[in-house]
Parts: sequence; C-alpha cells; structure tokens
Amino acid sequence: MLKLYVEAPPPPVLNRNTEWVMYPGVWTAYVLLIFFAWIAVLSLLRCSPGVAWTVVNLAHFFVTYHCFHWRKGTPFAEDQGIYNGLTWWEQMDNGKQLTNNRKFLATVPVILYLIASHTTDYQHPMLFLNTLAVFVLVVAKFPNMHKVRIFGINGDH
Amino acid sequence: MASALMNVTASALNWVSVSFDAPLARAVVFGFPVDGHLVVEGLLIAVILFQLSRKSYKPPKKPLTEKEIDELCEEWIPESLHPPITEEMLAQPPILESAAETHTVIDGQEVVNFASANYLGLIGHEKIIDSCVSSLKKYGVGSCGPRGFYGTIDVHLDCETRIAKFLGTPDSILYSYGISTIFSVIPAFCKKGDIIVADEGVNWAVQNGLYLSRSTVVYFKHNDMTSLESTLEKITRQNYKRAEKMRRYIVVEAVYQNSGQVAPLDEIIRLKEKHRFRVILDESNSFGVLGNSGRGLAEHYGVPIEKIDIITAGMGNALATDGGFCTGSVRVVDHQRLSSSGYVFSASLPPYLATAAIGAVNYLEENPTILASLRNNIASLRKGLSDVPGLTMASSPLSPFVFLKLKKSTGSPKNDLQLLDKIVDRVLKEDSIFIVTTKRSALDKCPLPVGIRLFVSAGHSESDLLKASESLKRVAASVLSELI
Repeated sequence: MLKLYVEAPPPPVLNRNTEWVMYPGVWTAYVLLIFFAWIAVLSLLRCSPGVAWTVVNLAHFFVTYHCFHWRKGTPFAEDQGIYNGLTWWEQMDNGKQLTNNRKFLATVPVILYLIASHTTDYQHPMLFLNTLAVFVLVVAKFPNMHKVRIFGINGDH
Repeated sequence: MASALMNVTASALNWVSVSFDAPLARAVVFGFPVDGHLVVEGLLIAVILFQLSRKSYKPPKKPLTEKEIDELCEEWIPESLHPPITEEMLAQPPILESAAETHTVIDGQEVVNFASANYLGLIGHEKIIDSCVSSLKKYGVGSCGPRGFYGTIDVHLDCETRIAKFLGTPDSILYSYGISTIFSVIPAFCKKGDIIVADEGVNWAVQNGLYLSRSTVVYFKHNDMTSLESTLEKITRQNYKRAEKMRRYIVVEAVYQNSGQVAPLDEIIRLKEKHRFRVILDESNSFGVLGNSGRGLAEHYGVPIEKIDIITAGMGNALATDGGFCTGSVRVVDHQRLSSSGYVFSASLPPYLATAAIGAVNYLEENPTILASLRNNIASLRKGLSDVPGLTMASSPLSPFVFLKLKKSTGSPKNDLQLLDKIVDRVLKEDSIFIVTTKRSALDKCPLPVGIRLFVSAGHSESDLLKASESLKRVAASVLSELI
C-alpha cells in the first residue's frame, strides 16, 4: 500500500517576541553591553569603579525586571493575544524550563552581584541594594515561579 | 510630614546596615572569619550551581479532569439570546396611512402632521407629481446600476447642473440616499492622519462619517465660537510643523438636527481663513429654507459661496424627494466621482426622484414668496409655544423646526425620552396632532438633551399652528405637573 500522506514534523512555534534569543552571538552581545555600560557610567559619573558596578547592577536589575518579568504579552498583534498573560521570561523557549538560555540569563545577575559587591568592598548602602536586586532576580527566574503571581501582583484582570 | 518620612527612612537604613554587620557576620568557621556577605554569596552560588546542573524540561500540561469539566459545565449559566422583552420594546411608532403632507391619516383618523420635514409643502404638489409620472413612464422606476456602470441617466446630469446653477457653484454631484451623502463625503476627503474639528452636536450621520474617515476628531462645544477658536488655536499651536502637511477640516451643520441652532457662518469663515482650515457644511435642514431665495446659509449670512469648501445637503427635507447632493469647486466634485463610496458603490438615484428634485428647485426659484410664508408660520408657532409649561424652545428663530426640551431634566436621557413620549402620545390621541421626539440611535454619541421636534411647513395653516400650541400647552401642563 502506498503511503498516502507523509507526516511532516510540526513547525516550531516561533514567538517573535522571544526568538531573537536563539540567534548566535546574543550572549556575547549581552555581556559586552553590560561591560560598555560600566565604562560609560564610569566616564560620565566619574566615580569609583565599585560604585559604577553598583549603578550598572541596579540599572540591569530595573531594566531586566521590567522587561522580562513585569511586562506581559507581545508587541506583535499577529499572534492574537495568546501570550497576553505571560511575561517575556515565561514565553522564552516556549515555556521550557532550565534551557541554556535561561541558565545563562540567570547566572548573569549573580556574577554582576559578585563583581559589584567585591569592588565596593562590601560597603553599605550599596551592598544592601545589590543584594536586594540579585535576590529578586534570582527568585524570579526559578522554574517553580513559572506563571506564579505572588499576591496577584501583575496578574490578569 | 516630609521630615518625619526622612527620619523613618534614615532609621530603617541604619537598622539595615547594623543588621548586616550583626554578630553573625563575625562568626569564625574552621578558622576563617565569615562575613555576612560571604554567607549570602555562598548561598547564591550554591543555588545557581544547583540550577545549572538540572536538566531542561517542559512544564507538564495539566488538562482538566472529568470532574473539573463537569463542575465547570454545571456552574455555567448561558446568556439569553435576547434580553427579556420590555414594554418599550413592543411600542410601535404611529403608521401613516396616507402621504406625509401637512394633514395625514393615522389609524383612520386625520391628523395634523408636524413630523415630516416638508418645509416648503412640496409633498403632493401637482406639478412635481406630474413630472414624476412622466419620468416614470419614460425611465421606469429604478436606475439599476451605480453611476459609473451604466446607471447615469440624463436626468441625473440635468439635476446636478440645475442644483449647481441654483446655488452658484461650478458643479454638483448627486447621491442616492440622503444621509449617505455626508457620510460618504467626509471619508472621501478626510483620511487617517488628518484633523477634523467638529461640533459636538452633529447628528449620527455626520458622526458616522467622522468615524469612517479614521481621522483625529476633536469636538468643540455646541455652536460656541469661542470654543471653536480656542480648539483651532490649540491644534495649530500643537502641531505647528506638522500642521502644514496635515489636512485640517471643520465640520458643522447649518441647522443642527439635534438642537435647531444655526451655525454662525461668518464667524466660522473668519476663523477658517485665519487658521487655514477647510469647511464641510451640511445644509440638510437649511437648503431651501434660509436666505432670501432659499439658497441656504451662505446667502443668509451674505458669505460668497466660494468660501465654503464643501456643501452637502440631503434632498429629503425642503425638496421633498430623496437623495442628496454635494457641491463645491470643480476639484471637490470631480474627486468624489471616483473616491466617494456612496457614489461609486451604490446604485444611482431613481430617475423620477431626480426629476422631482429638478421640479422642486424650479418651483423654489420661481416662487420665493413661499419662504416668507414658511417664516411667518415659524414665527407664529414660536409665539404660540413660547409659554408651554415645563418645556423651553432650544432652537433658533431661523430654524425650520421648533425644538422643545424639558426645562428641568429628570437626569437621564432615557427618562426624559419616556416623559416626552408620553406627551407626544397623548397629543396624538387626544388632539390629533402628530409630533415626534428625537430618535437617537444606540450608536449616537451626541451629548445634547433630547426633546420634541415640530417640523413647520409652509403649507400649514394658522389654525393648525394654533391647535398645535394649545394642545401641547394642555398636555404638557398635565403630564409635567409632577415635575414643576
């Protein structure tokens, strides 16, 4: 009997909001961006390197928390709102937890924290702020926090 | 207050830094001094290494169990296809059993008709009916096609030239349905990205046109020229650079359907020339009514007709036919022949209606005295209705219909309308006078109050007008006695 039909593999669902993470060179670009931000802060604020790393760490915290864990949905109208309840972090890699991308993005805040706290010699208030930032970010990136909204903050209405 | 807050935050920060340097920080483990931060860092690194060592997995899909599906189905209460039928849904408007002239027959009884916008009394006029009959015999009833596809008949072209000659404009264009005139003309000229300044009291047809045009619409207070001026200034100031490239329009009606006010055209033209906007004027209720010879608002104010960019009018009011027309310069009219949806995509006006329009315009040009009788009727009706208890006249003395609204509104338009409907029903039943309340569609966003409209015709006699005012005074006194 002839094979009347072929089974093609289903095409991967490409979420245009997050597919850019799969491009080559994203990790390197991310690291270099942080490094150049540190140099820019150092030259603009003329502060000590430690304070510059703290500033970079806090800015990184605000930006990544807002973009990855607060904003929900996608800016593309063609996907008709299927991701409207999911933050960018939850959309990434189609919801697959602990992929390489996620592991990389979870280590970056910790390394930033280590650098920032080491270069400021563990002084306050920078240490406290850095610790708070890294704590929030690491907890937000746990796989157990997938689709969890604490106290309904940022939940769907 | 601010200093207390500062104290609180300073003490909190102090506490935090002290706790960080708490005795725990100086514990000694295996001979190494352990600082607080090392604990935190160690914890972090441990957590990260643990996460890095795990394998990636897809979170399992948890489909609903049978029990959960059953529970959800039981809880669901379906919405009914139609809300329960109320009495007001069953109410039917009165049905006319004869032609809508100044006296018609409703339910077998003859009533005085103040509900048809038959301003010049041309419904049932023999000459017009004769021309219609001969046109019917020659062309049949319908035109069976849009203007661009074999639907153009010589009477259409004659009608267009006749109207243009009457108004003094180079050309005009005919539409087949009265209100589709304005809501085809506006989107033909106003596109996305343009700015339209419109009066907030425009009727639903104009609102529909504004919506279809997808332009930015800014409303100004009803018939308030200071509000218009400030809006125009705000717009030109805001978009100073872009204003040169954006098209800017002002949309007003000559006599507003929703309130009977007359737009002050000279002021509008002055503002338009100062701020360089284009004016779209809808003259449905003023064509054949205002001006010494019925040529509309421009003649009334003595404004040269070339200053108004686009004039539209529905022919269903003074001219007693159906359809509408639009005039302006040659470019304005020519553009609509290919870009106006109502012109290109609808079947053209039935030829006998075009003949009737030509007949009506001829009649108006030959007998300008009919305007004087219309004006006398309006004045005497206004005199009679000036002291109706509970209702005030909101329309201007020039408007061909008298708009009465409640002196003291009940608060919601729905209740107002119910009260006015009661008055109107009783006037019809007891005194055989047929008047109407404003009919607002569910899509209408007009903020003006509802009211009773009495359309005055040049064919009404003094006794009709007297009867109407007496009856309205009596019924309003009894129905609104609780309110006053």
